[in-house]
Amino acid sequence: MSENLSILIVDDELSVRDSLSNWFIEDGYSVDTAEDAKVALKKIEAFAFHIILVDIKLPGMDGLELNRRIKSINEDTIVIIMTAFASVDSAVQALKDGAYDFVCKPFDPDTVTHIIRNASKTIQLSKENSSLQDRIKSLVNIEDIIGQSDGIVEVLEQVRVVAQTDSTVIIHGDSGTGKELIAKAIHMNSVRRFFPMVTVHCGAIAENLMESELFGHERGAFTGAQYARKGKFEMADGATLFLDEISTISMKMQIELLRVLESKRFTRVGGNRELKSDFRVICATNRDLQSMVSSGEFREDLFYRLNVFAINIPPLRERVEDILLLAQHFVKLYAEQMNKGTKYIGKRATKALMNYAFPGNVRELENLIERAVVIGEGDTVQLKDLPFSQILSKPTWESIQEMEHHHVEAILEKYDWNISKTAKALGVDRVTLYSKIKKYKLEKSK
Amino acid sequence: MSLIKIIPLQFAAIDELEKMLALLSERFKMEAVINTPHFDLTPYFNPVRSQYNANEIIQKLVPLTGERDKIVGITGLDLFIPVLSYIFGQAYLGGSVALVSGHRLENSRYGLSDDPLVFSRRLLKCVIHELGHSFGLKHCFKPGCVMVSTTYVEEMDQKTDRFCRKCNTELTQLRG
Repeated sequence: MSENLSILIVDDELSVRDSLSNWFIEDGYSVDTAEDAKVALKKIEAFAFHIILVDIKLPGMDGLELNRRIKSINEDTIVIIMTAFASVDSAVQALKDGAYDFVCKPFDPDTVTHIIRNASKTIQLSKENSSLQDRIKSLVNIEDIIGQSDGIVEVLEQVRVVAQTDSTVIIHGDSGTGKELIAKAIHMNSVRRFFPMVTVHCGAIAENLMESELFGHERGAFTGAQYARKGKFEMADGATLFLDEISTISMKMQIELLRVLESKRFTRVGGNRELKSDFRVICATNRDLQSMVSSGEFREDLFYRLNVFAINIPPLRERVEDILLLAQHFVKLYAEQMNKGTKYIGKRATKALMNYAFPGNVRELENLIERAVVIGEGDTVQLKDLPFSQILSKPTWESIQEMEHHHVEAILEKYDWNISKTAKALGVDRVTLYSKIKKYKLEKSK
Repeated sequence: MSLIKIIPLQFAAIDELEKMLALLSERFKMEAVINTPHFDLTPYFNPVRSQYNANEIIQKLVPLTGERDKIVGITGLDLFIPVLSYIFGQAYLGGSVALVSGHRLENSRYGLSDDPLVFSRRLLKCVIHELGHSFGLKHCFKPGCVMVSTTYVEEMDQKTDRFCRKCNTELTQLRG
């Protein structure tokens, strides 16, 4: 820690500056000195020192005024005032003006060591605090969710509204539409954001393990329960419990879940102590729970308990205008992650993406772009980088003219717009090819 | 050949210094000897503080060092540097001179009965610590290492007279 911290010593006495610098250098701090306020301010403007020790009596501007100036430049700088003449008034004034501490010279080695160590801890905590706040802000900011389509705009508006409440939310959406992302956005914009979002992937947990997963268990509750373990309900105290694929839980577990959701009280498996947990429930499903209720697969009372505020995420095929935005976002994301220079999506690749139905929704699009960035060369994702030869749905054009348009364009791209090679491949002369390019207003993609 | 020169400066217990020579040679891989030049400390006495100015003494000891020698001045007098109320010892990082005071290392200073063994251990730790600085070692945060910064004798009693592995490796590199 000390090696990353810089200290400026401002004192008009050379012996004090030398003694203190030597003391701090031995502790591993990076140290600079100034003999008066003017020199100090010049150094402070050029470099952001973490800690500044200021003698109260300086030629020209005194230490108290220097402290105020330092605070106006950077209020996070820790200023420690030193004086040879203890005066309660000046100490109080310095502290009122934001000084971190006040010491009388000469001070015990222990005093200065402790003040600097405490100041280092304060700086460290402040850094951690601000980095954690940044991380929380960047986790899922509603504005950062990609999409301009009416469908996604409506979803985000619903997220904004419901995040501020403590209501139970059910998110409907096909697989890969981003249900967990929306759940995170709700959690991270709620008052519970400083606690974790505890996720239970109901479909991934075997039925016989579900009970101990949710309720926890006491030691010896069953064979193999060597230690007591907290369940997800307990872990979500003060936080948000996200139940993904809620439709997959058994009827028995539905009854148990309903009871806990209503009372927020439960008992660990094998235990007899009733526990209480304050959690908010967000659940998600890709199945129509209403029809599951009709067919008797899902309890009606639990359905109504969960279906307080419903959000429907439209599939990607119903919001074509978001495809390109998402694709560009993923290109940027993966190019940065893989340190590649990919920036653009070629014209034909764009067209192919827009025409594709994306049965796997955003997840499929993301994987597809990640693959394209991996295998692609240059700064543009080309059609050949997308695995559409296997998965692209049938061409949507019907007329011969449309077919000709796309075919000519494809062969031009294949030969990188080399007119002679393309004309030869198409079995036409160069003049004919030029007239086709003009007719279909074809342009070389970026 | 470079040497560690121990210079007693108004320090009566010469036998204490003789005891530490072999150990210093082993730790620093340099021969350690005792030198007794005439050195008057009177000019460095500060009557206001009733203490001796360590920085000024060090400056005056510098000319006594040979090329690549290290000098450790050991005194029974109370030392200070201008901004601190007292010090156990002083050395400049990578410098040639270290200064150690036994004045505040005796139990009797803290109302306890004197224990010569405890005093010897504390003095040895101080000498190794300040010599460590003069070789370029900074304070260490590994509990027990002799380079841990100590401001009380109780803290000094908690550390050993040995370098931790990291400081030892660094010392070897610094010694070249």
